[in-house]
Amino acid sequence: MTGWTKADFDLSRRRFLRGVGLAGAAGLTGLPLRAFAAEPDKPRELIVRAWGGSWVDSLKAGVSDPFTKLTGIAVRHDLTEDNEIQPKLWAAAAQKRVPPIHVNWDTTTNATKSALRGVTEDLSDLPNLKTVSEAAKPVGVDGYPIVNTYGYVYVLAYRPGAFPDGAPKSWKVLTDPKFKGRVAVYNDGIGLHFPAEIAGGGKLEDIPGNMQPAWDFFTALKANEPLMGEDPDFTTWFQKGEIDVACTISSNAREAKKNGIDIAWTVPEEGATYETDGLWVPKYLPENELYWAKQYVNFALTQEAQQVWLDGLGLPGVAPGLKPPADLVGDPSYPVKPEDYARLLRVSSKVEVEHESEWFGKFKEIMQG
Amino acid sequence: MDALEAVAAALWPRRLSSAVPWLMLLPAVVLTGLLVLGLWEMADGSFRTLDTATFLPSDDYSFANYHRAFTEKLFVTVASRSLIGSLIVTAATLVLAFPYSYVMVRTRSAALRKFLLIALFLPFFIGQVVRAYGWLIILGSQGMVNEALGLVGVAPIRLLYNYPAVLFGLVQYMLPFAVLMLAPALTAIPEEMESAAGSLGANWVRTFVHVVLPMAKPGFIGAGLVVLTLSLTDFAIPAILGGGSQDFIANAIYDQFFRTSDQGMGATLALLLVAVGSIMVGVVFALFGAGTLAMGRKP
Repeated sequence: MTGWTKADFDLSRRRFLRGVGLAGAAGLTGLPLRAFAAEPDKPRELIVRAWGGSWVDSLKAGVSDPFTKLTGIAVRHDLTEDNEIQPKLWAAAAQKRVPPIHVNWDTTTNATKSALRGVTEDLSDLPNLKTVSEAAKPVGVDGYPIVNTYGYVYVLAYRPGAFPDGAPKSWKVLTDPKFKGRVAVYNDGIGLHFPAEIAGGGKLEDIPGNMQPAWDFFTALKANEPLMGEDPDFTTWFQKGEIDVACTISSNAREAKKNGIDIAWTVPEEGATYETDGLWVPKYLPENELYWAKQYVNFALTQEAQQVWLDGLGLPGVAPGLKPPADLVGDPSYPVKPEDYARLLRVSSKVEVEHESEWFGKFKEIMQG
Repeated sequence: MDALEAVAAALWPRRLSSAVPWLMLLPAVVLTGLLVLGLWEMADGSFRTLDTATFLPSDDYSFANYHRAFTEKLFVTVASRSLIGSLIVTAATLVLAFPYSYVMVRTRSAALRKFLLIALFLPFFIGQVVRAYGWLIILGSQGMVNEALGLVGVAPIRLLYNYPAVLFGLVQYMLPFAVLMLAPALTAIPEEMESAAGSLGANWVRTFVHVVLPMAKPGFIGAGLVVLTLSLTDFAIPAILGGGSQDFIANAIYDQFFRTSDQGMGATLALLLVAVGSIMVGVVFALFGAGTLAMGRKP
């Protein structure tokens, strides 16, 4: 390391971020670790909120462990549910307290609420944002209070044994009396509103002005006595033979299949909801911890990190040059080309955030009736 | 010892001895005060509506959340289900708890008493969620019950994810609480009273109706109140055994706080739940008197 001058170590924050970006882009060993000599004090650990099971395993393998290897900072995963960490973060920000986590892995919809509330740090200066796709940019908010890291599809998962003639063609199968009591949807209706709008006779463009077709579809669905739960419930229900068909995230269906459950999935003719998740950093972290939290997010945007992380989840990322996992090549739940995206139903997160409460209430009203 | 007494006298002079009961009451007052403080904060929040443009509560106060709570079909449905459900669960639990408690208290067999005591306390070591999942295993489509039915040629029946399943799970959960409340009341009834009634010509039924039941009233009232309030506010059993379509009010409160981020609406529902629970307890006290719980008894 001879030949380094003080100026080399007096890195501005922006220069440092750029450096880390280069390190990431060049792979984990692209730059010698001593390039971090002028960085702020390293915290003993970063706490990253994550979903459990294969979700956290993938994040750990793709992002957290390599980040620790690169920086020496341990990463602890907080598995508090995203909905439950939110009020804690909001309360901490309202009281100007140090938040309980450094990085929140969150749905874009939830994260947008936090951004609108003003509890998120701006991530616009992350160097790797220059290389990622447009999908990384959140819609309806200024700058980058959140960075979208990948997209996912709410597919129609089914038990092949119950469909001897092949995959169901339409979401209307959920209302087919033949499957009465053997269908499942999320207990907040998430992922189903948009296909329900179309299956109920409406158009995507009608959202949010006229949601009646979706409510009609949900009313028909209610008559079919659906089970309603969360991701782990779906896996259990498929495993125990309680259900034949469900609306769920493709990752969960894929994970269930990996675990030996007889399950397949499809994107029906009406299309399927496409959403994104992302990472964000809450306000009121100490300066040095904020700095390293941002490095974590920046690192998560590198091609190397995303390839491992998202291979585990089977989801399309935002870094350039990612290759789909072998089992998902050509799979409609893993969009790659523009025509793949044409089959997917997307509504701006701003519209979703503004109407989520109202849609949730209506869904519940129908299903609890 | 003298030295200790001297220190105690210095720290707490004898003239302050009348304040000792109040001092002992202090922790309870502080705890209750903190709860009231929390309720006050929630009351403040309940009058503020959520602005979905900023996800901040409004600066203005209004009754909008309360209006929604009383007029929106979802909340009315869930509240009615909770109220009716808690009443059914209370009645069923008391009916089942009484014979259990009676046998446990009156049996001459030490082995049987031990067995009943173990069976009573064992569920306390198993959390509510685990017990609910246990019922999923037993009552599921491929569970033990349906497998047994299959042996006699009966096709699988959907036993879970409906209102009866939730009520069943709640009764099973509440039974030990009710037995624990009833047993001391039954123990307090001298066995000689029943013998005396018998020797005066009363058959078992008349003895039960005219002696045991009236004397066990404090136990019934106490057990009923505990089961009623716990059932009314339960979250896990409706969530797990209801299959997402049999929410109780606690589930609706959770949804408002954690799903829609509408803390004002969540606070409103929580306060209404506290109010309804308090009114129900108040009505019981008004009808039967707090004395039925052996409170306010003159020395």
